[in-house]
Amino acid sequence: MSPDLSAALTGLLGTDSVVNCGMIVPNNLHLPLATLLRDRGYTCYVTVCASHWPAQPALKGAPATEEHFEVATVLRDPTRRDAAHPDGSQTFSWRVSLAPGEAIASLTSLFAGADWQEREQYDLVGVHFAGHPDLRRLMMDEDWPGHPLRRDYAIDTPHAPWR
Amino acid sequence: MAMKDNSALTPGLAFDQPLLEKIESVPGLDVLVGSLERLMNWASTNSFFVFPMATSCCGIELMTVATGRFDVDRMGAVIRATPRHCDVMVVAGTITVKMAPRVKKLWDQMPEPKWCIAMGSCAISGDFYRDIYSVVPGIDTFLPVDVYIPGCPPNPDALYGGLMRLQDKIRARQAGTFEPREARPETAKMILPAVKRLEDGDRDPLLSQAQLAAAMGIGLNGRELHSHEQVVAVGNLAIGRNVLAAAYPQSDVEPVQEPAPQAKAEAVGGAEAAAEAP
Repeated sequence: MSPDLSAALTGLLGTDSVVNCGMIVPNNLHLPLATLLRDRGYTCYVTVCASHWPAQPALKGAPATEEHFEVATVLRDPTRRDAAHPDGSQTFSWRVSLAPGEAIASLTSLFAGADWQEREQYDLVGVHFAGHPDLRRLMMDEDWPGHPLRRDYAIDTPHAPWR
Repeated sequence: MAMKDNSALTPGLAFDQPLLEKIESVPGLDVLVGSLERLMNWASTNSFFVFPMATSCCGIELMTVATGRFDVDRMGAVIRATPRHCDVMVVAGTITVKMAPRVKKLWDQMPEPKWCIAMGSCAISGDFYRDIYSVVPGIDTFLPVDVYIPGCPPNPDALYGGLMRLQDKIRARQAGTFEPREARPETAKMILPAVKRLEDGDRDPLLSQAQLAAAMGIGLNGRELHSHEQVVAVGNLAIGRNVLAAAYPQSDVEPVQEPAPQAKAEAVGGAEAAAEAP
């Protein structure tokens, strides 16, 4: 990691220890972090992935957890790594933990490709992206009840008249 | 939205020959009708215009049939990309709940006479996606299927065989020697999908109406879709595991057990009595 990126990350997050998908970022720092990385060469929006975590009791020493959602974002520096681009060909990913009903900032203002990706996550998991210009369902019908990839969605949920 | 005539959903009507009926209605042409029927028979069976309703991996095999190694042109079949030119719809692949009204709408755009082939186990029964929320358990819940081609996916040879079976079926229909498939009571023990087939006698007529309404309700950009309230209004169809378990008692489907209201009341009353006793 280049020194100036390290310094910028430390200034924003308080640390520059980056582990892929291991770092949970506060919700209010999601958009500043993405902006910072985009301005330093991470211009390729790879993916966004939301997951649903239902409430878990304490088990085998692990503490009990409340129901929450996690949104992982992956950015990539598409340039070749050389002296001018010390971060070239590297990916950077982080997670944001959300309470049920909490919205996360949309990245469509930074990456046009985030549009349909965030629509898909909204459709299947039910995470709301604040600031998205057209947050409609992408895969299921417009009138589909519920969000199918939540853990509490029954796999054989009937949907008349086709099921 | 005006409800359209339901006859398109009735199996068997897909074999009507409107041109022949018109010719038969003209007096003096009866003499020619026999040879005209043979001519129509020959023409319709040897020039299938196939509409590839290909949604998944079966579509790859469908494409292979059109290539030089198998060359479906040898039997006069042409694959066209518009339903208005076609008379055979080959449904190749999984049909989802979102796709099903579109398939129905394309089917309605095909001119008579028309036939439908269910290619692959997903189109036949939904296969292992059958119980998933988003998949239609077999296209014969809303289309009159003529030929089923099993396989996952079927070989191009199998599709070729299916087209030849369809030729045989059309010839037998017009010769009056067609026999519908036998009913096998032992298959009732199998776990069937909750949605009744088109040929099932106890199929709810509301189901056909609702499917047609859903197909007709597709608007521009998906915005004028059937409202969820309209669908829920016919939601008391024979759908769901409890209905399935009641309809097929020998099947392995376990109904969802709910405590009876009487037992609940007794439990509450017993607790109150116990509280009052001391």
